[in-house]
This record gives sequence, C-alpha cells and structure tokens, in this order.
Amino acid sequence: MMTYIVFILSVIFVVSFVGFSSKPSPIYGGLVLIVSGGVGCGIIMNFGGSFLGLMVFLIYLGGMLVVFGYTTAMATEQYPEVWVSNTTVMGVFLLGLLMEVMLVLYVLKSEEVGVVFKFSGVGDWAIYDTGDSGVFSEEIMGVAALYSYGAWVVIVTGWSLFVGVLVILEVTRGD
Amino acid sequence: MNPLIFTTILMTVLLGTMIVMMSSHWLMIWIGFEMNLLAIIPILMKKYNPRTMEASTKYFLTQATASMLLMMAIIINLMHSGQWTITKVFNPTASIIMTSALAMKLGLTPFHFWVPEVTQGISLTSGLILLTWQKLAPMSILYQISPSINLNILLTMAVLSILVGGWGGLNQTQLRKIMAYSSIAHMGWMTAVLAYNPTLTMLNMLIYIMMTLTMFMLFIHSSSTTTLSLSHTWNKTPLTTTLILITLLSMGGLPPLSGFMPKWMIIQELTKNNSIILPTLMAIMALLNLYFYMRLTYSTSLTMFPSTNNMKMKWQFETKRITFLPPLIVMSSLLLPLTPMLSILD
Repeated sequence: MMTYIVFILSVIFVVSFVGFSSKPSPIYGGLVLIVSGGVGCGIIMNFGGSFLGLMVFLIYLGGMLVVFGYTTAMATEQYPEVWVSNTTVMGVFLLGLLMEVMLVLYVLKSEEVGVVFKFSGVGDWAIYDTGDSGVFSEEIMGVAALYSYGAWVVIVTGWSLFVGVLVILEVTRGD
Repeated sequence: MNPLIFTTILMTVLLGTMIVMMSSHWLMIWIGFEMNLLAIIPILMKKYNPRTMEASTKYFLTQATASMLLMMAIIINLMHSGQWTITKVFNPTASIIMTSALAMKLGLTPFHFWVPEVTQGISLTSGLILLTWQKLAPMSILYQISPSINLNILLTMAVLSILVGGWGGLNQTQLRKIMAYSSIAHMGWMTAVLAYNPTLTMLNMLIYIMMTLTMFMLFIHSSSTTTLSLSHTWNKTPLTTTLILITLLSMGGLPPLSGFMPKWMIIQELTKNNSIILPTLMAIMALLNLYFYMRLTYSTSLTMFPSTNNMKMKWQFETKRITFLPPLIVMSSLLLPLTPMLSILD
C-alpha cells in the first residue's frame, strides 16, 4: 500500500474537493478544506517536499483557513446546509463521487487505455526514488530560487495579493 | 471611488495585460490573466446598481472558467513536452483546450453569450475598456500559439462568430449591445485569418480598436445609450452626426474608409490560400453587420427621427472632455490610402 500512497491520497483529495464543490454551507466547506489541505500536504511530502508541506499546514490551514472559519462563523445561518439536507447538494456530491470511482477503476485497469490521457495502471502514480539528489534537497533549492531568480514572480504575486485586497474592499464597500 | 485607488486598480489592469504579452513562461501568462480579471471587476462595478453587479459577476464567472481551462491546457502541455516556455503547443488536446479557453475570453461563438449581457450592464466607459483593452491579452496569446491551432475548430468558431455577430445585432436598439455584437463579429474576422497570416490579425485588431474607441467616445460625448437618444444628437452637436455616420460606415467595412483595409487584406490572404467559399461567406455575412450600422446612421444622421416636440431639445450637460477624439476619427476613417505601408510588416 505504501507504494501507491500518492494515488490513495489523490483520490481522497479529489473526493474532498467534490465535497465542497457540491456547495454545502461554507462551514462544512471549510471542514472539507481542512481535510483536503492535510491530504495535499501528504502528497507534497511524499515527493520529498517537507518544507512546502509544513507551509501548507501553517500558512494555508493555520492562517487563511482559520480566518475563513471565523468570518464564516460570524455570517452563518441557523440551520446550515449539509450534504444530505438538500437533494441537489447530495446529487452533485454523489455524481462527483461516481465520476471519481469511474476514474479510479479506469486507472486500475493495468493495460494502457487511452481516452484523453494514457494511464498505464497504478504504476504511473508510484514514486520512484532515484536517490540521486541526496546532496541537497530539491524543494528547498526551489524555494531559494524563487527569491533569487524568480524575483519577478514574487513581485507580481505580491502585487496581485495587494490589489486583491483593494479590489475586495472596493467591491464590498457599496456606495 | 477614491481616485488613488481607482488609478491603482486601472494600472493593475494595464499591468496584467502587459504581463500576459511580455511573458515567456506559461504560469506568468496565467497570473497576468488573473490579475487582469481581478482588477477589472471594480472598474466594471463603478456605479453601484444591481445591473452592474450582475454584469460583473457574469464576466467574472466566464473569465474564471476560461482561466481554469487555460491552466488545464498549460498542464497538459507540460505533461507532454516537459517545459513551460510559450512556443507552439505540442499536444493536440492541449491546443484544442487552449483555443477554447482563449475563445471564451475573447467572446467567440459558441462562448459569446456573455458579451452583450455584460456590455449592456455596465457604463459606457467601462464597456469601452471591456471591448478594446481586454481583447489584447487573449489575442496576443492566440498570435503566439497560432502555428499549432487546430484549423477546423478555429475557422468554425470564426465563421459562426461572424454569423452570430451579424444576426444577433439585428434586433437591438441599445447601443452597447450593438457594439457587443459588432465586437463578436470583428473577433470572428480576426481569428479567421489567424492560421494563415497572423500579422493581419494584429492589423485588424488595431483598426478595430481605433474604430470602437471612436464610436464609444462619440456615444459618451452625446451621453446616449439607446438609438432613440442617439438620434437626438443633431440637436446637441450637429457635427457628431456626420462623424457617427463616417465611423459607423467604416466599421461596416465600406471601401474608401479605413475599415475596409482589414477586410480586404483578410479576404485576399484567404483566397491566396485557395479557400474561396469561406471568404465569400464571410463577406456576405458582414453585410448583416452593415445593415444595423446603416440603421443607426439612418436614424442619427440621415433623418430627423420622429419624436414629440418637447423631446426635440436634448438637455445640455456640461461638455465632457473626450481625449483624442479628432485624431481617432481621422484614423478610423482615412487610413485606407496607407495600405501599401503594410509591406513593412514583412
């Protein structure tokens, strides 16, 4: 099972995305986001990115999602919608689950079947550790490269975040 | 809106498009599109009423979907070619998805449904930015991936856009919806020649932007958003009726005016590539466009529209200062003799 852990985690990832895309109340969406954040962290760590996984937990779950949870708690209604309370929500959730199950069965067929993508069995998803890059960790070097060669990316994303706040304030300000 | 914030947000719209046009890494291009989309939402919502809110929401939803499709195409391209530089797209699936995403951003058929509704819901100046500046970024990406676009899909979308732009605009009296359908039709002309000679796409884009700028500025000058209101401009500034006549006929593609130049070049380029039926169809369908432009000129400049006596006086607001209107009018009507200059583009 450990060889195919990335595949299993990715299935849980997609299922939790389906869980909040079927639009229950935001509180339950936030709950499912926590699960998907944790599972996403697991996927990243399996590729050797322990620093990025930690950042997911700290910044994404512990920073942004906490703020989201507080604001949702302030704006919530008396009987928030769960997945089973509304037929539409449950229908969409089941549809998403069904499509994921079909995809999983399709991946698990060990011959190469090509519809849009060619999956050649679950072997595609196993991580092969070549053991080459043992001198330095790739993802720490990637983070370092972001702040040296990728300075333009930092400027652009920083500016986008700043303008994002401005835009949100403008839109919600009203007259 | 606070002028400082408004300037910042407007500059971010410009920055977003610049990033899209300048970048060589697919992720930066996607970031540029998102920055552009994010920053134009408050510009579309400058006046706070339910119509602008609804129009901005529709715009945001369609453009966000298009950005998601673009990201998927980028990742499929990455999976099959292993690199992020923007050159031709190596995988047919990625190419088709990317073309659809960019067509959604431009408003080509079958993704054109948002254009009239969004343009109608926002103010004239915001509509101006939406129909001119926002077309630059997706068109620049289409230009860069043009060697690898699936020709069937591109030409189908182009011809259908010209058709929809012509037929859809026939039943409209609201000026913003007319300009929206005109935009759909012009995008169709631009993408039809994309696979054969992308330079002509850029030429058409340039002339289309000039003409649309002129039209919108003339509408802003006479503060009119309906045909009825436009037909009273003879009362306010009789000169603008002549200018509206000239510019509208130029948009329709009539010969001595500069709007004829892109259509002529496009038809010539298509026939050089041995497709005869397609440019014939396109030219015939451009007549639909010409019909509703002619209807506008008929009610505005050629006749005095019937109205009751007390409606004949248009209330004179303080004259708005319209930037660059005279040069724009000159450029959108008199550029045809400069066509031989196109040889420098080789």
